[in-house]
Amino acid sequence: MKRLATTLALVALAAVLAACSGTSAAPTPAPSTDPDALKISSKDLAFSTDTLVAPAGKAFQIVYDNQESAPHNVAIYADQGYSQKVLVEEPFSGPKVVTYSVPALDAGTYYFRCDLHTNMKGTIEVK
Amino acid sequence: MANRPASRSFTAVDAVIRVAIVALVLGTAYIHSTLGGLLFTLNAAGYVVAAIAMIAPIALASRFRWVVRAGLIGYALTTIVGWAIQGPYYSTAYLAKAIEVALIALVAVDFVRFDGNPISVVRRELATGMAFLRARRAGAAA
Repeated sequence: MKRLATTLALVALAAVLAACSGTSAAPTPAPSTDPDALKISSKDLAFSTDTLVAPAGKAFQIVYDNQESAPHNVAIYADQGYSQKVLVEEPFSGPKVVTYSVPALDAGTYYFRCDLHTNMKGTIEVK
Repeated sequence: MANRPASRSFTAVDAVIRVAIVALVLGTAYIHSTLGGLLFTLNAAGYVVAAIAMIAPIALASRFRWVVRAGLIGYALTTIVGWAIQGPYYSTAYLAKAIEVALIALVAVDFVRFDGNPISVVRRELATGMAFLRARRAGAAA
């Protein structure tokens, strides 16, 4: 019985680990990066900046460099309560660089955060 | 203690269920351990402790395995509710929640197979506790 239990345990564990080790669908990198793209990175569960500045009325890109294995995203919201989504894509594990394409926004203050680690946050000033 | 159901032999089906429970617990613990941050790490650690408690071949763990089962169901439910409130809602999270739902179902099956009706278990344990207290009082009075 012990041998059976051990064998089953190993098979089940292998199946679970195999299922867990697959990478989740992450945002597809943009084919070309705008030289004026905003840049942000993260390491040790912190963003490199808490303020980004973007042009009003014009689509722009954000190049996000996640430098650690913990999955993060840069999710953009129109309100401080993080309920009005502007751009929310799946968190992804690093090290990996992803370019987000943000649609044109009206002038104002927008809010970004990592949806997994909500203490990682900042604002985007659109003007 | 006298009211406890007679011990039953551990069958192959029991072994499969127990192994599946441990695999599911370790699976969701692994996912949470990869997310970084204190909250997720503590959640993963809690699951690992629960996995150990589910199979620990020590008398105390065996005697109170029903508490471990009930605790594990509550822990997984709390994790699911916490996620439902806060999110985020993405593929890895859905996988972890699917594992936890399956885990709750299997632990519930394990509970019923070994302990029977949960209400009866609570009644039995309360009766055991009351009998213990009465015996202590009687001993102190003598």
